[in-house]
Amino acid sequence: MAHVVLKDLVKTYGSFKAVNEVSLTVNDGEFVALVGPSGCGKTTTLNLVAGLTTVTSGDIVIGDRVVNELDPKDRDIAMVFQNYALYPQKSVYMNLAFPLQMRKLPRDEIDRKVKEAARVLDMTQLLERKPRELSGGQQQRVALGRALVRDPAVFLMDEPLSNLDAKLRVQMRSEIKRFHQDLKATIIYVTHDQLEAVTMADRMAVMNGGYLQQYDSPAQVFAHPVNMFVASFVGSPAMSLIPLEASTANGDAVLTSAEGWTLTLSQANARKIQGATSRKIVLGARHSTIKLHKSAVPGAISAKAYTVEPTGDVTFVQAFLSGAIVNISVSPNIAVAPDEQIWLEFDQERMHLFDGESEMALRAS
Amino acid sequence: MSTIAETSSQRQTRRRVRVDGWRWGGRIFLVLMLLYTALPMVWMLLTSIKSGFAAMQLPPQWWPDQPTLDSYQKLLDPQNSVGQDFLRFFWNSLFVSTATTILSVIVAVPAAYAFSRFTFPGRNFLFFAVLLRNMFPAVIFLVPLFILMRAIGLVNTHGSLILTYLTFGLPLAIWLLKGFYDNIPVQLEQAARIDGATRFQAFVLIVMPLSAPGIIATAIYSFIGAWNEYIYAYTFLSKNEQLTLPVGIQRFFSENTTDFPGLMAASFMMSVPVVVLFLLLQRYFVRALTEGAVKH
Repeated sequence: MAHVVLKDLVKTYGSFKAVNEVSLTVNDGEFVALVGPSGCGKTTTLNLVAGLTTVTSGDIVIGDRVVNELDPKDRDIAMVFQNYALYPQKSVYMNLAFPLQMRKLPRDEIDRKVKEAARVLDMTQLLERKPRELSGGQQQRVALGRALVRDPAVFLMDEPLSNLDAKLRVQMRSEIKRFHQDLKATIIYVTHDQLEAVTMADRMAVMNGGYLQQYDSPAQVFAHPVNMFVASFVGSPAMSLIPLEASTANGDAVLTSAEGWTLTLSQANARKIQGATSRKIVLGARHSTIKLHKSAVPGAISAKAYTVEPTGDVTFVQAFLSGAIVNISVSPNIAVAPDEQIWLEFDQERMHLFDGESEMALRAS
Repeated sequence: MSTIAETSSQRQTRRRVRVDGWRWGGRIFLVLMLLYTALPMVWMLLTSIKSGFAAMQLPPQWWPDQPTLDSYQKLLDPQNSVGQDFLRFFWNSLFVSTATTILSVIVAVPAAYAFSRFTFPGRNFLFFAVLLRNMFPAVIFLVPLFILMRAIGLVNTHGSLILTYLTFGLPLAIWLLKGFYDNIPVQLEQAARIDGATRFQAFVLIVMPLSAPGIIATAIYSFIGAWNEYIYAYTFLSKNEQLTLPVGIQRFFSENTTDFPGLMAASFMMSVPVVVLFLLLQRYFVRALTEGAVKH
């Protein structure tokens, strides 16, 4: 196993910058998820690490070698593809054996390793089958097996679960996580599904528009998103972002909505908005930090329930405030009807404030 | 329960009747097409086993009174002058067609792969240019190519035909093969390269076997194209010992009185390789080899 360092990595296609000065370090044995919406540069970044695409500028270090100019085969990596990319004309056995044959291992050693990998992944009885005779989950397993049979320095995974059905995805998610824990493998895992990143990764790198937005543990990213993009991308349902305007009333810092209502800020929050570049402030609140009242309460803002989605454990209520969608979760035994008058109370301790101009999180200085 | 069963069976019957009308129309149409294409061939076969006299009879003998293989024996007999010519023409055709096929595969495989996988300046223009040649009727190029061949001294050589057939066959071969390569997911090669193969190994070990049906299909196409070609062979070659079958058959049998059974026997033997190749081709087209490679 080895660590991976990306230093000011840039990849351009003509005038389009797919990856923009991305720098990050993946520690030995760490599971890092590259996450972001489609087109954010995460797959390009992975292909750069794999050597399938050439670097425009910057450095990629795997172990202690700069690998920019090395062929994929010389980088000591293994990759699991979204569509698995199993060799269709080869049996499962030959698929697993291929990376070892390419490295010219002796025949008996290949046989031993293939059978060991098959045993670990519980597919010994599938070895003679062709990929097309396998179910999606089994194909996924073979793809994983082909990666681990060789004991590479780094595992690269490109959305390996996105072609599986929902149930299998959850199951394979825990299997890959287990696999990481058992092997202490260095894994770079690309996904567009923030839930996968949050549940599996030691650290997640949130990307958007080719830029690395935030690189931290899922808990930190969730609790302290650096900007509005990260705030809205991580967490489901998404964090509500309400555009407001800062002003003062009776000596208190308040946020005023274009709809006329105001929200008085706590001392700590009032200090945060002093760092804003303009009076435009965006209030961010996760669904669980907004309290829903069915009657007027001091400090609560009146709104109308728009949709009500019971999920069993929890019921999600959507409302509009200042033109923004607000998600609120309530206990299922609180009955809310669409178009019902409700009052929303924001938790001052757990609310996020963003600069309306720069979209960056406002922190107490 | 019973009412539900009844209505559903009624509905089924009604649906089946409607489909049957169309299906019968389709069947009749297909049978007519089959007769249209097969009858001339049947007639060719029947005529080839008649005697010269029986072939000219009116009303025609639908089934020869005295079937004979004389014409075939004559054509395949190296002692006979007719047989000598026929066998030589056959050999010439075989040589020209095989050489065309081999060269076209050798050039088309890497060219199609490059068009499919790499982006390079002028890629689209080049690909269009490749196809441009096939957008004009072949005969347009007859005179220019003849002048060109004369200038480089290739008139009356098989080389002139091979080169010419490549200009027809290659664009089509490249175009067909590119389709095959486009359908092979690029991730397979990427996986192979990560698994330790060089770019060339990934191509030879993974992509080539997968595109084998495509390569065979293209090879058969170029072979048939070259095998059947007439106008260029007729124009570029004038020496009797160089002629290919399509030209040779015609020359040879129209000199005196036409020997129809002989002509038909020669035509039949000329069509054997094409028919055999077509049967092979069909099998390879039906096969979907990449199934199971990736999940779509």
